[in-house]
Amino acid sequence: MDERLRETLSSMMDDEADELSVRRLLSHGNQEDVRGQWQRWQQIRDLMHEQHGPADGIDVAGAVREALDGHARSEQARSPVEVPRVSVWRWPVAAMVFMALIVGFGAGAGWDTRTGVSVQALAGGSAEPSASAVTLSAAVEEVALQRLDEDQLRQMRQYLLEHAQHNSVGAGRGSVGYARLVSASGNY
Amino acid sequence: MTQATRIEARPLAPKTGLSVASSMTPENDWKPGEQSDSQTDLQLVRKVRNGDRAAFDLLVVKYQSRVASIISRYVYDSQEVMDLTQETFVKAFRAIDRFRGDSAFYTWLYRIAVNTAKNFLEARGRRPQGSADVTDAENFDDGGRLRDPASPERLLQREQLQKALAEAIASLPEELRSAFLLREYDGLSYEDIARILECPIGTVRSRIFRARDSVDRHLGPLLDQSVT
Repeated sequence: MDERLRETLSSMMDDEADELSVRRLLSHGNQEDVRGQWQRWQQIRDLMHEQHGPADGIDVAGAVREALDGHARSEQARSPVEVPRVSVWRWPVAAMVFMALIVGFGAGAGWDTRTGVSVQALAGGSAEPSASAVTLSAAVEEVALQRLDEDQLRQMRQYLLEHAQHNSVGAGRGSVGYARLVSASGNY
Repeated sequence: MTQATRIEARPLAPKTGLSVASSMTPENDWKPGEQSDSQTDLQLVRKVRNGDRAAFDLLVVKYQSRVASIISRYVYDSQEVMDLTQETFVKAFRAIDRFRGDSAFYTWLYRIAVNTAKNFLEARGRRPQGSADVTDAENFDDGGRLRDPASPERLLQREQLQKALAEAIASLPEELRSAFLLREYDGLSYEDIARILECPIGTVRSRIFRARDSVDRHLGPLLDQSVT
């Protein structure tokens, strides 16, 4: 620490240092030197004013630094465990919601294939299905509800409804699927 | 002995024939760190808020003795005192954003120290052994003597330090000694000292620094020994 910085430190002891000088001092590479000098001058001041305490000459700053660093380290050590835990939850839930949306949409569209009313038609209130809606519902039916008999279809509907309800209540992420299913079924 | 060396050191300013104008003289004996709005403290607190840990180190060093002394009014075991002193500063660091500057930093720190000590005793089902209270922080006056259950060896060491300090001050060149004592014992600002000594503020700054440096070098080995 050069003479100029030490003079700044001395001014700080007396509340006479300007902001810029303090900044320069605190950006000095060897803060151990700064702290050591500051401590010695504080000790001299205490000595002059006969202010002796139980912490005289003890490196409390070092202990505090260690305590704070130790806490930061333990926080860092915990974080890698926490991150996967969050992701472990998020991806399956997202996948379930996505699946519920796809399958729910398909099932919803498929329920009304007998009457030829598509999801879009229900939403729009039109009794006449559009050509694109019919194409879409047919495609979804082919993917999701192929070769299901009446019992299986009923079970599938029930399962999808429960699944969507569970998502909407449990994770708060399945409400879209639930809404889609309800609006598609028209009975719930 | 200690008192004698102190008395010897104190009248050095009068010996120089300096007269301090009444408007410049604090009403009571000045004690370091008593300023209600310590500029340095606020500067350091701002730095700490910006993530500068080194600035907090300086605050710890500055106040560690006084915080330990406050806690020792409640808790008599020296190890517990040191643990609670450390805990006080850790709490202060974590709560530094909540320090609004309405009171002096030291007053704020004092409150944390008192509460830390009281909470410690309550957690152990012990009643506070001391008498300090949070309200004392506003008018904290330790009469220059902090509570310190020092060992006889420690007291002897301190006596040696006091003696060496008196010698160091006495050996200072006149102009350095005057500026240094007007600052340390009378608590005058650099501006006031410059007016009294009829010299630029920069000269006062330099003289006080050189005086401090000289005393430090004089006490060097003794101060090193006092660090446990």
